[in-house]
Amino acid sequence: MSTGLRRYVVVRLLLTIPMLLILVTLVFFVLRIIPGDPALAVLREGASEEQLQSFRVATGLDQPLHVQYLEFLGGLLRLDFGESMTRNVPVIDEIKTFFPATVELALAAMMVTTTVGILFGVYAAHHRKKASDYGIRISSIILYSIPIFWLGLMLQMIVGAKFGWLPVSGRLSAGNTPEETITGLYTIDAILTLNWDLFVDAVRHLILPAVTLGLVLAGIFIRLTRANMLGVLEQDYITAGRARGLRERVLVYKHGLRNAAIPIVTLLGLQVALLLAGAILTETTFSWPGLGRLVVDRIYDRDFTTLQGSIIFFALIVALVSLLVDVLYGFLDPRIRY
Amino acid sequence: MSTTSEAYPGDANPTEYTPLIDQNIGIMRRFFRGRKWYGTEWYITVFGGFILVAVLLTTVLAPVLAPHDPNSFIGAPFTPPGGGLLAVIARQGESPIGPSDSIDGQSIGTTRNSNGATWTKELGIGRQRYNEEEETIAALQNGEVDLILVEERQVEELLASNPDFEVIQEGLGRRYIAGTDNLGRDIESRLIWGARTILGVAVISALFSSLIGIPLGLTSAFIGGKLDKGLSLAMDSIYSFPGLLLAVALAAMLGPSVVNVTIAISVVYIPTFYRVTRGQVLSIRENMYVEAARSLGAKRSAILFRYISPNVIPSVVVVFSLNIADAILTAAGLSFIGLGLPPDIPDWGYDLNKGHSFLVAGHWWMITFPGILITLVAAGFSLLGEGLSEILNPRLVKG
Repeated sequence: MSTGLRRYVVVRLLLTIPMLLILVTLVFFVLRIIPGDPALAVLREGASEEQLQSFRVATGLDQPLHVQYLEFLGGLLRLDFGESMTRNVPVIDEIKTFFPATVELALAAMMVTTTVGILFGVYAAHHRKKASDYGIRISSIILYSIPIFWLGLMLQMIVGAKFGWLPVSGRLSAGNTPEETITGLYTIDAILTLNWDLFVDAVRHLILPAVTLGLVLAGIFIRLTRANMLGVLEQDYITAGRARGLRERVLVYKHGLRNAAIPIVTLLGLQVALLLAGAILTETTFSWPGLGRLVVDRIYDRDFTTLQGSIIFFALIVALVSLLVDVLYGFLDPRIRY
Repeated sequence: MSTTSEAYPGDANPTEYTPLIDQNIGIMRRFFRGRKWYGTEWYITVFGGFILVAVLLTTVLAPVLAPHDPNSFIGAPFTPPGGGLLAVIARQGESPIGPSDSIDGQSIGTTRNSNGATWTKELGIGRQRYNEEEETIAALQNGEVDLILVEERQVEELLASNPDFEVIQEGLGRRYIAGTDNLGRDIESRLIWGARTILGVAVISALFSSLIGIPLGLTSAFIGGKLDKGLSLAMDSIYSFPGLLLAVALAAMLGPSVVNVTIAISVVYIPTFYRVTRGQVLSIRENMYVEAARSLGAKRSAILFRYISPNVIPSVVVVFSLNIADAILTAAGLSFIGLGLPPDIPDWGYDLNKGHSFLVAGHWWMITFPGILITLVAAGFSLLGEGLSEILNPRLVKG
């Protein structure tokens, strides 16, 4: 590792810490702007004063705000997100239960996004300023403008309810549970345990949510691919290749796409926030038991600790993924340095 | 000046240079000539603008355009689009009333879920309610009632299977172009009033975020130093975070109201305006003309407000338009999750949320129309922003 690269990685790492601290602080205080008494909000109307008081003591709500904040930060350092306010389990266990579903959905959606994005993005760049280029560009804007949950509803209605081709909710059919969970991703677990029925069932449940999330994100990805491919196709070596009589397809997909791939993948990695935001809505639409569902469900329960824990977990994931992508990019492209 | 022009070979023949944009033509003519200068981008912009104007008009004219009150339970629940009109059917030759008579006071059968219930109530007739379509028809067949009210679209089928029936009157009641929802509210009216809601929330929140983000970006970039570093870090942190999640947390804590949702969304988008403004100021600051102004002794405030700020505007306009598109989607997402506006305000996202429960029953019209409109409006603002960015800053976006 050269000194330049080492410096870059260290600086990037150090920058992540204050960013996370800012987010954690923001989330902590946002979840405390609730008008009125949080204890009353959790226990609802009709709770007696003793109940309220014991709840406050148990959850630390009786402490002054800055003490709560410091305790909360201390807990975070040990990856302790506290205890759920409505269920007697540590928040981290709740996250562990729900997170794999989100990962599975996100990975599957990514596959859809990259396939659609690269196919159409490269095609549009190759046929620049032709009708197909404009068609693809406008479609990608419209695709991105579709509310993700509405696309999900439409697919549920047409593919699921009307024709009955695919299941419209959940991760597995009722009664079908994996014998053992290794990764928590049912499709991978099914392959590992060689359970063919489980695999088919898991994939069938995964298709609609993944297509929904993947297609909307593809709207952005088509644009990224197109812009980067345009830059590459203008390069001299492409012209040189063309002059040497290379076939156009080889030129575009082999020589062109390979060189555009690095920035494209980086930019995609930086869309992880968008992916997770989309996952919240997709999970709500398809009753997919992921982290987004956890957040939305716990809002109705007014379970502030779980809410706080899962939102901060989201922030952690976003920060880690973009850190990883940036460092990886630093390895791959020596021009990127602070 | 002539000496300098000779110094640059590109300017050697200034007479051959024809300006791309003729400054002496009027605004309207310039507008229509746009397509020659900008090509397809012009069409994209105009299309986006067209949608924008249409939505704005709908917003302003909502009370005139909407046929009904969006919140009143006006028709039968789940009337499909185009339905709602009723026909009076009787046994052939036994009808107590003629085609132009009032049906007041007759014994008449209506099914529970047809508009008949509403209409007989308004017409003040003695009526008999039946839960099933078949029961109603049977009641007419065996003489229990003299007339029945049915949906006009069912008449043909009904007459085919019951040749002894005849149509006495047609076209009673109201037609619901987009159908009615689970409570019998007119969806068309809800869609029209909903435009006002979503546009209001999106535009006002974008205004809020720009009013905070732009000045912050200007000062941050202009002053620089620690303030700039700290602010940039904070804004970048918020920017990198899933915006919807932040809006969800804020909206959940603040509670459902128009103001709260607007605040929640505007907080999310402050960093967008901050980043664009800051980036623009940093690059404009390096321009030669700013340097020139500085060396001529222009005050710092004059440089910021007279030389830099006006050149930030084009980028901000583009971002503003794209931001409204995003805000529309976020607002709809919040409503869909159930954290949006109070239920008495017609809102497309809320209607989608409600329609979700009735999807399996096949009531497609409850979710189809609000979704199409959200897409159309968001796409309109995106296309407008996209086109404007090509026209205002030709070098900002490649392609």
